[in-house]
Amino acid sequence: MNERLRVVLADDHELVLEGLRSLLADEPDLEVVGLATSGAALLDLIAQRRPDVAVLDVQMAGMDGLDCLKEIRRRGLPVRVLMLTAFGDGEAIQSALAGGADGFALKTAPPRQTVDAIRQVGRGYLVFPPAARKWMVGARAEPAPSGGGLSAREWEVLERLAEGLTNAQIAEAIGVSDNTVKFHLQNIFQKLGVNNRTEAAAHYFRTRGQNAGGGR
Amino acid sequence: MTWPEEHLAARRILSVTEEELQRIILDIHDGPVQKLFAALSQLSALETRLTHDDAPEAWRVDLARVSGLIEASLGEIRSSLGTWRPPGFSRRDLVSMLEGLIIQHEEFTDCRVEWDVIGLVPAVSLPAKIALYRILQEALSNAYRHAGVKNVWVRVAGEGGRVRLEVMDKGRGFTPPPLVGPQATERAEHIGLRGMRERVALVGGTLTLLSAPGQGTRIVVEVPANE
Repeated sequence: MNERLRVVLADDHELVLEGLRSLLADEPDLEVVGLATSGAALLDLIAQRRPDVAVLDVQMAGMDGLDCLKEIRRRGLPVRVLMLTAFGDGEAIQSALAGGADGFALKTAPPRQTVDAIRQVGRGYLVFPPAARKWMVGARAEPAPSGGGLSAREWEVLERLAEGLTNAQIAEAIGVSDNTVKFHLQNIFQKLGVNNRTEAAAHYFRTRGQNAGGGR
Repeated sequence: MTWPEEHLAARRILSVTEEELQRIILDIHDGPVQKLFAALSQLSALETRLTHDDAPEAWRVDLARVSGLIEASLGEIRSSLGTWRPPGFSRRDLVSMLEGLIIQHEEFTDCRVEWDVIGLVPAVSLPAKIALYRILQEALSNAYRHAGVKNVWVRVAGEGGRVRLEVMDKGRGFTPPPLVGPQATERAEHIGLRGMRERVALVGGTLTLLSAPGQGTRIVVEVPANE
């Protein structure tokens, strides 16, 4: 049986914390293991409770959500971060992406979407609005797709994955962030119709002959 | 160059307007949005529990109706906040702000924006930054509402002490009305265009509008860079 995803919530609006907690109480696969009303309290909570996912309000008094995200990344805390905000405009999306968030959910959208986003982020997906995707990898300069519908960059990531590298090692090898690697993997899995790394690697070994020298 | 007194006053008013907008938006953010989101979370939880508890169907229908109303209000608030929230004009650079606007436009509409930054784009004054941002916003919105096409090209370039912003579509086009002088259009549907032209004039720039029926539309704005 799958373990429940452990979630902490941080928001300086207690009403919001109460509402979300109440909603999450009915989700059998999610467990709220802590609440915080400030960024500083959240950092302590993450250190103590070791949650899988932190849901973080962008606009908090004192240390706001983005500063807090920066601090989580600086300390290398092993937690996935979903930013929650009332602002769905370009600036809000850009800041969350630039800060290395794993996802972005809106308080002006139905709260059920936040619940889904928590689940997705907990499973390792990056959850951003579609319009943000092309900005996530600086993808404008990406070369034309090679065989299998994968871009040259995605093929490169797949190649490293098949060599047995971890996300962090792939990130270092090709000079991008972990998040970017995750983003590429998500697209690769989707394009190849596979569910995990092993299946993706198997696909690579099956088809690499057809793609030899591919990428341009 | 020295600006006449009334010109400086008008430039200040533009910045103050953006500050006022910021305050209104924060009030909406801190009050209604948080409460509506919290209320909708509680309602969703209640809906789930009623389903488990075999409650009368009529209750669930009523509850779904209330949730739907709140959801719709939040949706309306989302688009006004998105349109009007000033994007941190004083702390952000022009290119990243314009990029943000493009992400937002693609997110709120089904349009595709081809975006190019040519060369190094120099810094511009705060009022010029605001002007370029609001003009791009207006131009994208016009293209979306009137051009009848899904693709727009936006290009920003630094050229000889000036910043040049171009917005182009290959849509249905129109006959541009006169925007200055005694013949300047007073028609309601042209207010946005006049607003663009006036914003640019206030920061010492120029606006050129090229369009004809069936020929698409191209808007070129040039403003001086900071010396």
